[in-house]
Amino acid sequence: MTDKRSKNEFIKEASRQLRGTIAEGLADVSTGAISEDDSQLTKFHGTYLQDNRDVRGERSKKKLEKAYGFMIRVRLPAGVTTSKQWLQLDAIAGTYANGQLRLTTRQTFQFHGVIKTNMRRTMQAINAALLDTRAACGDVNRNVLAVANPYLSKVHAAAHELAVTISAHLLPRTGAYHEVWLDGEKVIDSSGPAPKDEEPIYGQHYLPRKFKTVIAVPPSNDIDIYANDLAYIAIVENGTLAGWNVAIGGGMGMTHGDLDTFPRTADVIGFCTPEQAVDVAEKIVTVQRDWGNREDRKRARFKYTIEDRGLDNVVAEVNRRLGYDLQPPRPFKFESTGDPIGWIQGADKKWHLTLFIENGRIKDEPGWTLRSALREIAENHPGGFVVTANQNLIVTNVPAKGKAKIEAILKEHGIAIGTDLSGMRRNSMACVALPTCGLALAESERFLPELITALEDSLDRAGLRNDEIVIRMTGCPNGCARPYLAEIGLVGRNPGLYNLYLGAAFNGERMNKLYAEDVDKAGILRLLDPIFVRYAKERQQGEHFGDFAIRAGYVRPTTAPNAFHADLNPVKVQAAE
Amino acid sequence: MREIWNVRPRAERNEKIEEALVTAQPLLPKNAPFTPEEIDALNSVVARTTPQQRAWLAGFFAGFEAAQAGGAAQPAAAPKPRQPLTVLYASESGNAEALALRTKKLAQKHGLDAKVIDFADADFATLSKAKNIIVYAATWGEGDPPSRAVDFYNALMSEEAPRLEGVRFAVLALGDTAYAQFCATGKAIDARLEALGATRAHDRVDLDLDYAKQAAEWTEKALGELAPAADAAGTATVVHVDFKGSGLVAEDDEPQFTVENPLTGEISALVNLNGSGSTRETWHVEIAAEARGFSYLPGDAIGVVPENDPKLALEVAEAVGLGSDGSVVQKLRERYDITTLSRPLVEAYAKLTRRTDAAKLAEQEAFTRFAADRQLVDLFETYAEKLSPEQLFGLLRPLPGRLYSVASSPKAHPGEAHLLIGAVRWESHGRKRGGVASTYFADRRKVGDAVRVYVKPNRHFRLPEDGNRPIIMIGAGTGVAPYRAFLEERVELEQKGKGWLVFGERNYTNDFLYQLEWQEHLASGSLTRIDVAFSRDQPEKIYVQQRLWEARDELLGWVEEGAHIYVCGDEKGMARDVDVMLSRILAESARGDDEAGRAKLKELAKAGRYQRDVY
Ligand code: SRM
Ligand SMILES: Cc1cc2nc3c(=O)[nH]c(=O)nc-3n(C[C@H](O)[C@H](O)[C@H](O)COP(=O)(O)OP(=O)(O)OC[C@H]3O[C@@H](n4cnc5c(N)ncnc54)[C@H](O)[C@@H]3O)c2cc1C
Ligand SMILES: Cc1cc2nc3c(=O)[nH]c(=O)nc-3n(C[C@H](O)[C@H](O)[C@H](O)COP(=O)(O)O)c2cc1C
Ligand code: SF4
Repeated sequence: MTDKRSKNEFIKEASRQLRGTIAEGLADVSTGAISEDDSQLTKFHGTYLQDNRDVRGERSKKKLEKAYGFMIRVRLPAGVTTSKQWLQLDAIAGTYANGQLRLTTRQTFQFHGVIKTNMRRTMQAINAALLDTRAACGDVNRNVLAVANPYLSKVHAAAHELAVTISAHLLPRTGAYHEVWLDGEKVIDSSGPAPKDEEPIYGQHYLPRKFKTVIAVPPSNDIDIYANDLAYIAIVENGTLAGWNVAIGGGMGMTHGDLDTFPRTADVIGFCTPEQAVDVAEKIVTVQRDWGNREDRKRARFKYTIEDRGLDNVVAEVNRRLGYDLQPPRPFKFESTGDPIGWIQGADKKWHLTLFIENGRIKDEPGWTLRSALREIAENHPGGFVVTANQNLIVTNVPAKGKAKIEAILKEHGIAIGTDLSGMRRNSMACVALPTCGLALAESERFLPELITALEDSLDRAGLRNDEIVIRMTGCPNGCARPYLAEIGLVGRNPGLYNLYLGAAFNGERMNKLYAEDVDKAGILRLLDPIFVRYAKERQQGEHFGDFAIRAGYVRPTTAPNAFHADLNPVKVQAAE
Repeated sequence: MREIWNVRPRAERNEKIEEALVTAQPLLPKNAPFTPEEIDALNSVVARTTPQQRAWLAGFFAGFEAAQAGGAAQPAAAPKPRQPLTVLYASESGNAEALALRTKKLAQKHGLDAKVIDFADADFATLSKAKNIIVYAATWGEGDPPSRAVDFYNALMSEEAPRLEGVRFAVLALGDTAYAQFCATGKAIDARLEALGATRAHDRVDLDLDYAKQAAEWTEKALGELAPAADAAGTATVVHVDFKGSGLVAEDDEPQFTVENPLTGEISALVNLNGSGSTRETWHVEIAAEARGFSYLPGDAIGVVPENDPKLALEVAEAVGLGSDGSVVQKLRERYDITTLSRPLVEAYAKLTRRTDAAKLAEQEAFTRFAADRQLVDLFETYAEKLSPEQLFGLLRPLPGRLYSVASSPKAHPGEAHLLIGAVRWESHGRKRGGVASTYFADRRKVGDAVRVYVKPNRHFRLPEDGNRPIIMIGAGTGVAPYRAFLEERVELEQKGKGWLVFGERNYTNDFLYQLEWQEHLASGSLTRIDVAFSRDQPEKIYVQQRLWEARDELLGWVEEGAHIYVCGDEKGMARDVDVMLSRILAESARGDDEAGRAKLKELAKAGRYQRDVY
C-alpha cells in the first residue's frame, strides 16, 4: 500500500522541524534562490521565494537567473504596532527591501524583493524591532486578526488580547527560526536527529494546510469572519464581554474549473466563555491536524474537512476533546466589512485617524510621498498605528490638540485622508498579484485603481459617487482580497481577463455569484454601467448594491456556505474589442 | 615573415621581383634546383636582403653543412666579431615588448648580437655587463613604471645603481598624451642612465599611442648609431652562425593584424548583460572574425578600431567653422581622436591661433583644472577660432584603438572573439559624454555591423601550463572577461585543475555578469568555488578584497597547492587594493610584516603565479 500523502508532507517530515537545508541554501552565493523543498519550509518562517515577473523575459538572454527576491511577512497579531516599530520597519523597507511597505488583508506588513544575501540581516532587523515572522505563512495557524483598533473600547482591547494570546499559543515551538535566521551558525546539523518533542501541538507534520483565525467585535465585520477557518465573535451583554461565539470552516481559495474546490463561509457553531477561548482554539486546530486531508493539498483546508466529515461530527469531536460542550451561539449582528475612514474618538476620548491606503501599498512618488509622511508621523507621534484587514492604516491615540499636526504632515506630503474619495474606492481592495506573486494570472493591485477611476464616471452619471459599494479584485482564484465576499468581485483568469461576481452581502455574511466570465476592462464597464443606473433608480430604502443585484435578478443568491457554484447562469459576453 | 608571405597576392610578389632585378639584386636563376614556386618564394626574400643578411646566409649554409658532417661548425670564412646589444623593455600591455623583440631581429642586419631582457628579469649585472643598451619603456598608472618593471626601475633610481661609464644607450619612451605624466618612465630612465655615466648614442623620443611608424624609424637610426662602424659599409662577409645559440629559433610572434591593419569582423551578438534597473551597462559582444593569422589565446586582448560619435564629430567641426564640410566631418568621425584634450594639443592650438588666453590655459594647473572634465570640443568652443581643415587635422592625433580582454576561448567559439565592454558615460558642463569605443558598441553598432579588430597578445596573463594547477581568478566588473575565456579553455582541454572565482560588482540581482555560465561551471566542476562582493546591496560597501580576507585560510591553502593568482580589471578601483590585501594575507602565513607579504607576492609574480591584467 503506497503512501499517498502529498509531497509537502514528506518535506515537513524530513525537515527536522522546519530546518531542512535552509542554512546551507543561504550560504550558496552562486544563486539568489534556495532549493524547492527549502522554499516550502521557509514559508513557516514567514518568507517566500519569489521573482520579479516583469523582467522574466530578458533574464536568460542576459545570462542572468530569474530576478529572485524574498517576500517577508511580519507576524503582527491584530495589526498593532508602536511608532518606534513603525520607524524600524520603514528603515528595513528602505535598506533591504524594494523601498516599500505593503499592508496586507490580514493586518500586517510585507516586504518584497529582499535578496538572499540580505535575508539574515533583515530577519534580525525585524527581530530587533521586537517583532518576528514565525508562522506568518505555512501549514500552521497564521497571523491572528482582531477588529481594528483595540483602543476604542474594553471589548476591543479584549479582542486584541485574545488575538495575541492565541497567536502565541499556536506558534510553532521549533528552534529552527532562531537557529537559521538569528544566531545563524548553530543550526542543528542535517545528520543529527530532529528534536522529537519540539512541537506539542503540531507534531512533526504540522497542519495539512494553512489555518486562519480572527476575532470580531460586532457590528464591525472588518476582519471578514466568514472567510476564516476559525472566528470568534464578541458577545457583549450589559456593557461587558460575556464571551465569544465560535465560527469554523470559512475560506476563499478555489481553483478555476475545479468544482471540488470552492470558497466557503464559516458556520457559527457555538459560544464559549473568555476563559475557554484559547483551549477551544487549540482543540479545533488539533481536530484539523488529525482529520484534515494530507493527500490532496487542494482540499486540505479545514473547510473541506468539515464538508467531508460533516459539521456535526467535527463539532462533536471538538466537544469531546474539550471535555465539555460549547454553549449554543448567542445573537449578534454585523453591519459592514469596511473601515470608517477619517477621525473617530475612542472611549478614552483619544482620537484615531483611519487613513485610506490604496491596496495597502506604502511608497513615495513625486508629489505624493506617503511613506515619508507616515515616517514623519511616527517620528512626531508616539501613539502607534493599527493595520486594518482592509489594507488601511489607523493612526491611534492622538490627543485632540495633536490632530492638526498630523493633518499638516499629511497635507505637506500630498496625502489625502480619503474621506472625500468615492464610496467605491473607500471600500476597495486588491491583492498584490503581479509582478511578485508567482500565482497571479492577471494584474490586480496595479489595475484596480484605474478600473475604479473608469467606474467612477458611471457612478457619477448614476449619482452614486458617495454610496458605499464593496469592490475587490484578485489576480487569481485564491482569493487573497476575499473577492467572493465583495458586492463586486473580480477574479483574474488570464492577462486582462476577469470573472465578474455580484451579489455578496455588504456585511460579509453572504458570498457573491458568477455574473460574467472572462471580461476585460471595457466589458466590465459595459456590464456594470446599466446596473448602476438601475440601482440608483430602483433601490429600496437602505438597500445595498449586492442585495439589489439579487433582487433585480442579475444573479441568484448564494444561500448556503458551500453553495458558491450552485444556480449559475452567467451572462454571455461577446469577446470585447 | 610567413604571414606577410601569405597575405601578399602573387601579382604583387612578382612586381617585387621585377623591381629587385632593376636594382640588380642577387636572384636565383630560373634553372636553380627548385620548383618555380620555390624560386618565387626564395627570391621574394633574397631580393630584399642586405649584404649582412647575405653574408649571414652564406655562413649559415657553410656552417650547417659542417655541423651535419659532425665536428664543430667551421666558418667558411674568417668570422667577423659582432657587437653585443642589450635590448631592455618595461612593458605592461606588450607594446614596448613587441618593439624590443622586433629590434632583436633588426639588430642582426646591423651585425649586432642582441639580447632582449624584460625589466622584470633585469639586474645590475645586466647593466654593467652591457656595452650597448636600447630601452623601450612604457608609462602606466599616473606616470608610474609598468608593474612588472617597478622593482628594477626603483633599483636603477637608487643609490646602489652601478656607474655605467663606457656604456652607450638610447631610450624610446611610450606613452599617451592624454595623461599628464607623458612618458614619465622613459624620460626618467633616459636621464638616469646619463647620470650614471653612460653616453647617449641616440636621442630619446617620446611617442604617443600612434607610435608604430616613428618607433621603426627611430630604431633603425639608433641601431645605426650603436652598430660597429664596419657594418655601415656593408662589405659582404660571411657571418659566423652559432648553432648552439638561438639563431634558429624565430621568436617572431608579431600579430599580423594591427591597429594600422585591422581585420574587419562582424558583430554576431550584442547584449547588455545588466538587468533593467541596473546602474551599470556592460555589453557582451560576439564578433565573427575569421582569417588566417587572426588567432588569440585566453589572456590576450582584442584591439578595436572604433569610430567617434557622428554628433560630436559635427560639433567639433562646427566649433572651428567647418561644419558644412562633409568630408572633414567624416574624417573626424573615422580617423581622428576628437575627445582627448592634451596639454601638448592646447599648446599647439595656442601657437596656431596666437591666442594668449589659450596660451595661459596651457599652463600646468590652469590646464589640469580645465581638462579635468572637459574635452577637445570644449576647447574649440571656449576659445573659438576658424580653422582650415589642414590646421585642424594638424592638431589632432589618429584615433587610437581600444583594448578589451578577450572573454572567449577560440576552442569553444572557433572563428569568434567575445568581448565584455563597460559603457563609459558621464555628463559635465551641460554635455552628455561617452567613451568613444564603449558607446560605439553600446549606441552605434548592431548585430550584423562590421567592426575592425586586431589581436593584442599578452604573454603575461596565461593559464598555467599544467592543467591540474588550481587557479584563483579575482576580478570586478569587466575584469571577469578573461576568466570566462579561461574556464571555457579549461573545459575544452578537459583540464581538471580547481578554479576559484572572486567577483565584484554593484548589485547582485542585476549586475552578476555571466551568472548562468558560472552556475554551469560550478555544476560541471570546472569551477570549484565562487565568492561575490556586491558593493551596493547593503549599507556598508563590500569589495572583493574583503572576501579574500574572509577566505584567507582557504586562499593560503590553495597557494600552498601551487595555485596561480590572477587579477583583472580596474587598476585604481580594485587591483591596487587587491594587491595590498594579497600581501597582507601572505604576510599572515609568513607570520611576518607586510614586507614579508610583499616579498612573497613578488616571488609568486616572478614564478608567473601572480599575474595581472589591469587597466
Ligand atoms: C499579501 C496577501 C494579499 C494582499 O494583497 O494583502 C496575500 C498574498 C499571497 N497569498 Fe494569500 N494573501 C493574503 C491573504 C489571503 C487571504 C485573505 C484572508 O486570509 O483573509 C486568502 C483567502 C482566505 C483563505 O485563506 O482561504 C488568501 C488565500 C491564499 C491562497 C489560497 C488558499 C486556499 O486555501 O486555497 C494562496 C495559495 C496557497 O495557499 O496555495 C495564497 C498565497 C499567497 C501568496 C503567498 C502567493 C504564493 O503562495 O506564492 C501571495 C503573495 C503575493 C505577494 O507577492 O505578496 N493566498 N490569502 C494577503 C496576506 C495576508 C497575511 O498578511 O497573511
Ligand atoms: C589591456 C587592457 C584590457 C582592457 N580590457 C577591458 C575589458 O575587458 N572591458 C572593458 O570595458 N574595458 C577594458 N579596457 C579598457 C578599454 O580599453 C577602454 O579604455 C575603455 O573601454 C574606455 O574606452 P572608451 O573609448 O569607451 O572611452 P574613452 O573614449 O577612451 O574615454 C575614456 C576617458 O574618458 C574620460 N572619462 C571617463 N569617465 C569620466 C568622468 N566621469 N568624468 C570625466 N572624464 C571621464 C577619462 O579621461 C577616460 O580616460 C582594457 C584596457 C586595457 C589597456
Ligand atoms: C591604465 C593606463 C595608464 C596609463 N598611464 C600613462 C601615463 O601616466 N603616462 C603616459 O605617458 N602613458 C600612459 N599610458 C599609456 C601607455 O603608456 C601606452 O598605452 C603604452 O603604449 C603602453 O605600452 P605597453 O603595452 O608596453 O605597456 C597609460 C595606459 C593605460 C592603459
Ligand atoms: S489572489 Fe492570487 S494573485 Fe492575488 S496575491 Fe493571492 S495568490 Fe497572488
